[in-house]
This record gives sequence, C-alpha cells and structure tokens, in this order.
Amino acid sequence: MDKKATVLSILNDLTGEDFTNNLDEDLFDSGLLDSMDTVQLLLQLQAQLGMAVPVSEFDRSQWNTPAKIIKQAEDAA
Amino acid sequence: MKSLIQMIDEIALSHPDWPAVNDRGVIKTYGELKAASDGIAASLMARQLPAKAPLLVYTDQSFAAIATFLGCVKAGHAYIPVDSHSPNDRLTMIEAIAHPALVLATIPLPLALKTPTVEASALAAMMQEKAAAHNVALAADDNFYIIFTSGTTGQPKGVQISHANLISFVAWMASFDLPRRPRFLAQAPFSFDLSVMSLYPTLTAGGCLQILPKEKTDNLKTLFETLPHLPVDVWVSTPSFVDICLLSPLFDAVHYPALKQFYFCGEELTHATAEKLRARFPQAKLYNTYGPTEATVAVTAIEITDQVLADYARLPIGYAKPDTTMTLVPGTAREQDDQQVGELEIIGPSVSKGYLNRPEKTAAAFANTHGLRGYRTGDLGYIAEDGLIFYRGRTDFQIKLNGYRIELEEVDHYLNQAPMIRQAVAVPKYNAEHKVQQMLAYVVPAPGEEGGLALTKKIRTHLQGVMMPYMIPQRFIYRDTLPLTQNGKVAVKALISEVNA
Repeated sequence: MDKKATVLSILNDLTGEDFTNNLDEDLFDSGLLDSMDTVQLLLQLQAQLGMAVPVSEFDRSQWNTPAKIIKQAEDAA
Repeated sequence: MKSLIQMIDEIALSHPDWPAVNDRGVIKTYGELKAASDGIAASLMARQLPAKAPLLVYTDQSFAAIATFLGCVKAGHAYIPVDSHSPNDRLTMIEAIAHPALVLATIPLPLALKTPTVEASALAAMMQEKAAAHNVALAADDNFYIIFTSGTTGQPKGVQISHANLISFVAWMASFDLPRRPRFLAQAPFSFDLSVMSLYPTLTAGGCLQILPKEKTDNLKTLFETLPHLPVDVWVSTPSFVDICLLSPLFDAVHYPALKQFYFCGEELTHATAEKLRARFPQAKLYNTYGPTEATVAVTAIEITDQVLADYARLPIGYAKPDTTMTLVPGTAREQDDQQVGELEIIGPSVSKGYLNRPEKTAAAFANTHGLRGYRTGDLGYIAEDGLIFYRGRTDFQIKLNGYRIELEEVDHYLNQAPMIRQAVAVPKYNAEHKVQQMLAYVVPAPGEEGGLALTKKIRTHLQGVMMPYMIPQRFIYRDTLPLTQNGKVAVKALISEVNA
C-alpha cells in the first residue's frame, strides 16, 4: 500500500469516512478529528509508516486536511 | 474546625505576596486573591440574594474564575461552575434545574439567560472594589459547590458537594506527601470535578495553581510550547491527557525536573501508560485514584510502584481513604474469574447529600447507612481481602471517554431527536486495555437523507448546538436498519460485540 492509501485508511479507521474524493476536507473544523484522535493519528502514522512524529511542531493548520497529512507523510520519507 | 476559606485567607494575611495562581503567565498572589474574592462577596451581600441560593458561574480557566468561586462561598452561596465550552442548551437546562439566584460570567455569555446576570466587566469591577473581609460561616452541611454531570434523558444532574464533603477530601489529599507550597497543574475545566483535585489542595497549602487552559491544549504545537514553561511539581490530569503529553519524547524527567508527583483520576489508568511514565520519570511518585463526582473527586488511591506494575496486569484503583468504607451493594456480587465482583458502594463523609432538586434520582442512588451517607456508584469492582479495590467496568451504559463521563442513553436521546436521523444508537469501542477509545453512532438516516460525509457534517453541526463536544460520537456508521432485541429495542449489546469483535 502506498503512503496515500495508508493515510486514507488510517483516517477511515478514525472517522469512519472515506476521504478519497474529499482530500481537502477540514478535519478539525468539521469536528471529524479531536485532540485525542490526533494522538491516535500520530501513533498510527508512526506504527504503519515509521514516521517520526514531530509533535512539538504539530501545528493544526499544517495537518487539517487529508491532502496535507498525505503530503506530510510523503515529505517525511 | 477551620473552614477552607479561613485556611486560604490566613495564608493571604500572613503571606500576601505568595503566588496563588499562574494565569497565562500573570502571577496573582494570595493577597490579590483575597482582595478580589472579598470584593465579590461584598457586592453579592449588598444584593441581599435569597440565603444559600446557588449562583451559576460561567467561566473559562482563569484567576477570575477562582476569585469568583471563593467570593460566592464567602457570601454564603454555593457556586455552580459551567465551562465556557458548554453548548447553550446545557446552560439553559442547568439554569432551569438549579434556579440560581444570580449568574456571574467571567467571560461574555453566549446568550441571555432569564436569571439576573453580572457580566464580565461588572464582575471585574466587583473584584476591584475595596471591601472589608467577608466570610459568612458555612454550616458543615451547606453546599460549597454544585457540579453538573450528564443524565440519561438529557437532563443533567447537579451533584451537591457540602463544605464537610470537601473538607474530607482536602484533608485526605493533604495526607499525601505533597511538596511544600505545591505547584499543581490546573488543566481540567472547572465544570469537571477533577479540577477540584488541583484547586483546594493547592490553595489550602499556600501553593500556586499552574493554569493550562484549553486554548493551549487544543493544538499540540502550542501545548508543547507552553508546557515546558509551567513550573509544575504536582501533576493532576486524566490518563488520556498525559497520553497526549507522552507523545513528545521530551516529556521526561530531564526536561521536567520539577515534576515530583502524578495523580490520575477520571478514567482507568492503563498499565501501558503507567509503565511509560515510570520509565520517563523514575524518581517521581505516581498515584492512581478513583472516585465519582458524587463522592467528591476521589475516594481511593494507590501509589503505582514497579512492584504494583509487576503484580497486576490491570491496575488496582487503590485503598479507600481512612474515613470511608467501600463495600459491594448486597445482592450484586457475582463470581467472575474466581473473584466476587459486584457494584461498589461508597460510604463516608465525602458522599454528597444528592442531586439538586432531583429527589427521585437522589433516592435511587443515595442511602443513609448507619448515619453515614452511601452512594451506589454503578461501577463494578472486586475488593481483595486486604482492602485493595479493582475496577471491573460499569453496571449500566455509562462510559468514560478521555476522562469524561458519558451516559450512552443521553447520547442516544440527542441523536434520536436530530431531524436528519430516523433512528440511532451510540456504541463504545474499547481498546485492548478495556479503555473506551471511540464512541461510534449507528444511524438510520431520516427519509430523504443519505448516509455519507455530507450527512455526518450536517448531524455534527446539529449536535454541536445541543450537546457537550465530548459527547458527540467520533464516527457515524449508516445502516438501513438496526438489529433489534426480542422486546423490539435496539440490540445495543449485539452492536457493542460487533464493534469490539
């Protein structure tokens, strides 16, 4: 599975939504992700993609849509 | 016996310059706290409100909130803290149940209430007033605060905590080996009674409350910018909140050398979280505590040592505090894994007199046993021969999610009132450590609606107007029908098994 598919699968697991066609959905504004879900998201990214989680730089505005999270995952390579 | 107010005021008189509250970097002293609360008390007394009528305080986490609480009590009134993140409906519902004599708002109210209201600017002026010391002596059984918890039909229940209840709790906390003039973390909102674990143990010991407000914890970046600058030596939070902090590899004894003690309450402390903390803070003491709002914050505690971690896969909640007895409600015990598991009852001086203006709900959960108040918790537990207590789940559909107490039936009530939903039921999803990780909602859409992201957003927007944010399910799963029991009710237990299979 590529990184995009992995991120979408993690988000699907957390929110119950398929974002394949909604990559620019604002996850925090719509309440789809709360702060505890964020913890789960980061832990899953670490577990499934080996991404070191930069929590101290975790600014919501850089992580608020599926597209941005996918970009974070791809840039982390 | 000295009142809590007297204890705090004595510190203010002998050491007016001691820091009492660190509010977003602004240090407020005991002298300032006394002056502000005396000013509020004097203004309240001048209004000649009905004696002992409770006052509603709409507030965020701030110095003004704390001064207002003390001011209410000094004027002889219990306070009802309502957090600023509450939806408008909850505010009006609490107003309707509690009949407060006055509303005090430390920040602007989102709507006009029927009750006479002191707006934030007027309240600030009251705090500036030069007033003589005020302290209407509270009788032991008079209410000190009233905290509203969730109720099954959407009607919240106001737990009345008396001065004697609170003294029992605060005296017990003082028996722990707290640092001199402790600097407690104050992170929980004031409408959540976990906040009381920081508030009065700090102020009666000459310590300084370190406020970590919601606007800082909402975003991880600002959380980790703020946390290193808070000189906290006693940590109080839910296990869920410390899990967030543990995400940062820098959250350890090297970077937080002042942190000496951790107290957890509000939900189950998992073995994994405790183990991680022991490794990160090997010199710090770590306590697991347990208690419902109805028995004043916490009634059991145990230090989680390496030995305790080695001995128990699922951590105990501790021993009852010395003035309190914990037993199993007669007739509820069942054999489970060679242990007698039953509903835990708490009997002792920190048990509330009951729910404000709700005699039926009070009679159902509270009883007088041998002249002492008893509260049936609805929690299942096992009590070992030496008195060590283990939590084993709930007797009903109440869950704890991130420390918040949620009645699933209350969530169902709101879901089923939503116009875009025909039928729905909330279902908890547990992780491997018995902790609720998510709340899901199984939803049959109303005619004309179609399940999907658009509907989820519509439902969320609707729910945000009527219920607390933490009560809104994280996931919405759409179905054409829901499974039913033989009695024609939604088969919640079947769905719980399905989700947790």
